[in-house]
Amino acid sequence: MDAGEIKKLLLSNDPEFWSCLKTLTGSARDFEELFLLSSLRKKAHARKLENPNVTAKKIRLAIVGGYSLYPLHELIEHLCEVDGLPVELWQGDYDNYISEIMDDDSELYTFTPHVVFILPAERRCTYTGHLTDPRELQQAEAQRAVDGVLDLARKVNEKTRAEVITTNFMLPARHDLGAFRSRTLGSDWSFRKWVNLELGLNAPSFLNICDWEFLANRLGGIAARDERSWFESKQPCSSALLVELAREAANLIAALKRAPKKVLVLDLDNTLWGGVLADDGLEGIELGDTSPRGEAFKAFQKYIASLKQRGVLLAVCSKNDLAKAQEPFQKHPEMVLRLDDIVSFKANWEPKSENIRAMAPELNLGLDSFVFVDDNPAEIEIVRQFAPEVTTILLGPDPSDYVTQLADCRLFEPRNITAEDAERTNQYRSDAQRKALEATVTDMASYLESLEMESVMSEFVPVDVPRLSQLINKSNQFNLTTHRRSEAEVIAVMNDKNFAGFSVRLKDRFGDHGLISIIIGEKVGDTMKIDTWLMSCRVLKRGVEKEVLNELARLAKLKNCTRLEGVYLPTSKNEMVRDFYGKMGFTLTAESETKREFELKLENFQPATTKIKIVRRAYEPS
Amino acid sequence: MNQAEVIAKLQTIFDTVFLEPVVLTPAISAKDVPEWDSLTHISLMVSVEKAFGVRFRVGEVENSKNIGEFADLIIKRKLEP
Repeated sequence: MDAGEIKKLLLSNDPEFWSCLKTLTGSARDFEELFLLSSLRKKAHARKLENPNVTAKKIRLAIVGGYSLYPLHELIEHLCEVDGLPVELWQGDYDNYISEIMDDDSELYTFTPHVVFILPAERRCTYTGHLTDPRELQQAEAQRAVDGVLDLARKVNEKTRAEVITTNFMLPARHDLGAFRSRTLGSDWSFRKWVNLELGLNAPSFLNICDWEFLANRLGGIAARDERSWFESKQPCSSALLVELAREAANLIAALKRAPKKVLVLDLDNTLWGGVLADDGLEGIELGDTSPRGEAFKAFQKYIASLKQRGVLLAVCSKNDLAKAQEPFQKHPEMVLRLDDIVSFKANWEPKSENIRAMAPELNLGLDSFVFVDDNPAEIEIVRQFAPEVTTILLGPDPSDYVTQLADCRLFEPRNITAEDAERTNQYRSDAQRKALEATVTDMASYLESLEMESVMSEFVPVDVPRLSQLINKSNQFNLTTHRRSEAEVIAVMNDKNFAGFSVRLKDRFGDHGLISIIIGEKVGDTMKIDTWLMSCRVLKRGVEKEVLNELARLAKLKNCTRLEGVYLPTSKNEMVRDFYGKMGFTLTAESETKREFELKLENFQPATTKIKIVRRAYEPS
Repeated sequence: MNQAEVIAKLQTIFDTVFLEPVVLTPAISAKDVPEWDSLTHISLMVSVEKAFGVRFRVGEVENSKNIGEFADLIIKRKLEP
């Protein structure tokens, strides 16, 4: 596939154009290549050749900054749209960002953006005094530069409740000042490094840093800049870095709207160790510090272990005999990964696509949360064809590149690491134990009783906001409306008296499940409309949903409501709650392809009893 | 390389960048090509510099009034050591 072929598809109005565009965009590295693809995309719109796979609501994205924002905006728009997140753009004028943000009546605010991307001017991030001034003076000015950016971000957020992304600052790449540059905070080199560090460490949770310093460093300081393009058209950087900057921005925007992947499924032979276990035997596989190749495989395992520490679940899928495949995990002295690191271990002769499909219900996760890694193109192809929701990574021929490949795939980047992420592996493991117990206890009621469940219900509180937003954005199955909300939008709900939002935490004698359910009710007259009702599938069949309804009814009555109104909005993933309201005693009032509406009169509502002890209720002193 | 050869090579670049075919002549200029706006221009120049292995000096491209003058500029820059 190349530019000529995709043009032909466009000229013949073939919808195949869009999937080609996605493939080519993914591999495009050069500015002109990406720009051409973007032009073709716009022409497709002009020709009314629409992308069948893009149905998402447009994200309203505003870009402001101290540079010309053309053609950066074009690249960002392209990357977001091709990624399935179309944007509606508003660009500020060149170097007008401060007044655009500070002026309450500016067009930026009439645009009512969901996301605001700020590129503060680097020429304002420089020490104006003398290189040999006292350190305190220099540091005070650097602090002002940090505060300047934070103030802009805060103002935008207060005014719009939008998510804010700001770039930090590129470092100089020329020899000016020589070794002296690192001996004073007055050099641009030290000054900007200090500002970038402080900016990142002090960024509030609504602020996302687009790490321009890192991107430029990754590309190479000299390749990152192009003075001529600054003089000619006020470009912020070289066209090569512009591509990286746009990709990073698009990635951050996607991360605001999408959950990271949750499971890494690993092949064994020539992925975790060198050689073929069945042929070479436990002693014959290459792994560990005795050979360079063995060392590379061990380093890859160490990297995978670090992903697990971040909360990624690890699974194995191998064409092997199960007992044989598990042997290295138990007996090989150089194995970093051990059996208890693996939440699901599939070693058999079934197609890998089927094995991965089987993992999804076991772990209560959608297939689109899975990433599959293998060195064998045939296995990758099977999974691509028969489990297309799974993201696949084909490892290259050299194991020393494996870590790089996985680290640069950008699939496991946490935005705000919550303590609960790291706990998750343990939760899943005790889930397995729980299922074993479930099998031994004969009736459900005594099983639930034996769990000794305790629950805390809480109104939305600031400290929960990252976790609330995270769950709202990643929960798919037990989710009645799939309304997504950014952290800023959660805060808006929290502060609005017409909303009654609360979260539910659950623990039992096997462990703490953390925050597992979120409900948002909106009072409209005498009705409490259920805007959001979602729950983690890990705690299905425990009675949590009954307690939630009890709580919802209680809060509704407190707000003088006489009825609850619930709606089910079907998606490809939430079929399981299609009849949920009906089962909870609601009456179906209206039904269409895209919507099922229910109501519950509170007059005769009787709270259900469950085996859960409610330790605290929402909106009550603890 | 003479002007005609340069224009022939430019033609292949324009064929890639523009969707509607444009037949380049020495007299043609940006205003004759609807798709050739300031955004496309930036992309076009990046492509031309890579294809010919030249680097224009600051501000000089905009002094070329048409494709003929632009081709001459490419030749001039190519002749530089």
